[in-house]
Amino acid sequence: MTTPILHVDMDAFFASVELLRHPELEGKPVVVGGSGSRGVVAAASYEARSYGIYSAMSSRRARRLCKDLVFISGDYEFYVEISERIMNILRRFTPLVEPLSLDEAFLDVGGVRRVHGEPKSIAHKIRNSIYEEEGLRCSVGASVNKFLAKLSSENAKPKVGPKGPIYGDGVFLLNESEIGTFLEPLAVNAMWGVGPKTHKKLNALGIETIGELGRVSEGSLVSSLGKATGQQLWRLARGIDDRNVLVDQEAKSIGHEETFSKDLIKREDVERELVRLVDSVVWRLRKSKKKCRTISLKVRYSDFSTFSRSHTSSEPTWSSSVLLEEAKRLLDDVDLNHGIRLLGVSVTNLDKNFVEQLRFSEDSYSDRENTEGVVELIRDRFGAASIGPASILGSSGIRVKRKGEQQWGPDHDSTVE
Amino acid sequence: MKFKCEKELLEKTFSLARRATPNRSGTNPVLAGLYVELKKNKLVVLGSDLDLTIRIELTVGGEEDGKVVIPGALLSDIIRVLEEGQISFETKEDEIQINNGKSEFNLRTLPVDEFPKFEEPGGNEATINTKSLSNAFEQVVKAASMDDARPILTGVLLAAEEEGLRLVATDSYRMAIRDIPGTEILSRDELVLVPSRALDVVKRILNEDKELTVVLGEKEAVFKIGNINIVTRLIEGEFPNYKGLIPEKNKNKLIINREETLAALQRVKLLAREATPIRLSMTDKKIELLAIEQDIGQATETIDGNYSGEEITVAFNPDYLIDGLEVISTEEVSLETTDALKPAILKGLNEENFLYLLMPVRVS
Repeated sequence: MTTPILHVDMDAFFASVELLRHPELEGKPVVVGGSGSRGVVAAASYEARSYGIYSAMSSRRARRLCKDLVFISGDYEFYVEISERIMNILRRFTPLVEPLSLDEAFLDVGGVRRVHGEPKSIAHKIRNSIYEEEGLRCSVGASVNKFLAKLSSENAKPKVGPKGPIYGDGVFLLNESEIGTFLEPLAVNAMWGVGPKTHKKLNALGIETIGELGRVSEGSLVSSLGKATGQQLWRLARGIDDRNVLVDQEAKSIGHEETFSKDLIKREDVERELVRLVDSVVWRLRKSKKKCRTISLKVRYSDFSTFSRSHTSSEPTWSSSVLLEEAKRLLDDVDLNHGIRLLGVSVTNLDKNFVEQLRFSEDSYSDRENTEGVVELIRDRFGAASIGPASILGSSGIRVKRKGEQQWGPDHDSTVE
Repeated sequence: MKFKCEKELLEKTFSLARRATPNRSGTNPVLAGLYVELKKNKLVVLGSDLDLTIRIELTVGGEEDGKVVIPGALLSDIIRVLEEGQISFETKEDEIQINNGKSEFNLRTLPVDEFPKFEEPGGNEATINTKSLSNAFEQVVKAASMDDARPILTGVLLAAEEEGLRLVATDSYRMAIRDIPGTEILSRDELVLVPSRALDVVKRILNEDKELTVVLGEKEAVFKIGNINIVTRLIEGEFPNYKGLIPEKNKNKLIINREETLAALQRVKLLAREATPIRLSMTDKKIELLAIEQDIGQATETIDGNYSGEEITVAFNPDYLIDGLEVISTEEVSLETTDALKPAILKGLNEENFLYLLMPVRVS
């Protein structure tokens, strides 16, 4: 078989999208993320990367590395919109598109050779279409399977030069005959499935590169890493990966979390943040046309210890008042004396199946859900901040939370209104 | 503390007492342990999560008095896997040694002073025959809610009715009502709400003994069976007005064989996963069960029955229907319906003491 799997990875996606909206920043070091003292960098432009700034770095450190750094707070909804348009461009080439995140996707182009040509030429067509239609660059890796395609796209990425990106042709093709030499020098933690823990174990065995990993026997990998991980890594190190490109992967959870500029101590402040978090989770739940049965609350204390609790009910819902009641009940288990640095709410056990188990009592979820459906209609028409729970009303109106906002840390070190 | 006892007796004791220990470690870690106290030949074992306490007394070969708190899950697991025969227990400083001559376990004990003091509440005492009770508990306990978010519905209502005792439980989707004529443990019009979890434990041991003594206190109740005392906090609050929910009259009545219907439901249920309901179509010619699982397929089953009423289709959660059918003891059962959105009544034919109400599922 040849190289039917493509991995398309947008170049500095969030930052590039922002540059489209702010052409005056072109050529400047730009990051998307939280600019406050607790913020983190979510994406860095290639100009910023030449200062040694990378995503997940703390904003404080990034600023130290480059004092002219421009911070842009994230606009998640906008990125989702652009991402959807990009995925639709990809779907013009093959229906077999598996989005991995907003800025990455796998494609299987094995069946469309007659229509669109060889994988390499499809890769170039994709790059051209995305650049012409959206003004954004991407890198494409093409190889025999997902694992190799993903590693290949890394090789297609622009290089970070001292004065910004040095663009290549943005496509890297890895043929079957080159797999061995390609994998040989790569660090093991470049592999899918090798996190810090496994990495440490492998290093302890004297394994630093994929080539070295490939020379270890399957048995000894299994005995030191466990059966599942051991077997998987053994296969990957040989370039074997038989995962298919999966279309329509449904989200398994929807969640939001927020880091606060000052630790929360008062229950009323925590509850107000809960209202906003639940409100935003429910908004996305409704947009995905799903109901949930489980809600989880995550709390990180000022000493970074993390605590979570969840509750599963028998009846699926997307009612924010029902979920808020449950979230508040979960909050009862939280020790508020330590100061809360981060609060997160997520829902799982998502269900599209809308059969409604009726109840004896009048107060069914559906009544509340219908009322809240009206709120959604109003928001769709007049904007998210047009209507909302009274407790999230601040001096400047309703403070609605949307994904992306403060996800990478607050921009200002102000207190909660 | 030092004593000897047969494995079989200890295994039963510890696994029962452990039912009261909390599922997750809460604020008081000592509750994960079982309190064990020896006085001469009398051993007392206590497990508690403060809401529910199980106290068991047994006679052992005592050598040296003492008290200790032993990690409950571990203790009961160890005893379960030991070979048959005598097991000896002996405390050594802050450890307890468990030994049967071949195997030896030494477990770190928990601080005995931190284990909550156990006081048995007083109150009106009544003794009842357990024969009818065991079956009655079986019939209602499952209908109670498991969801702690609705504390009232996690209870079973005990109410004094004219003819005797009535038990009611509902999770708001189905409701079980059982009358036990001639049994009086409450004064007239008195109501108490007992956590279903406690009754589930009581139910498990009812078969073994013949008499149950119930003590009703202000905030707690005690169920005494032989050497076992189950003490439970009562649930405070008002139980829903269940009487108003029972339909006066149902237009449609279906009579079916209980076991045949159960078997048919189990088959059709293979194509009703998770929340998928089963549709029951009824005409005077044909009774049919149907499950449709999107993207997978469907299953239908015709069942023999006797139907009088209009042609309708009502959808149910198959598990709720099965739960109801399983606790009825008669050969034939009747299912009465009004329409696709109103409660249905399931009961044994000519059986007046048990009623199972269930709400349909709305299918669009």
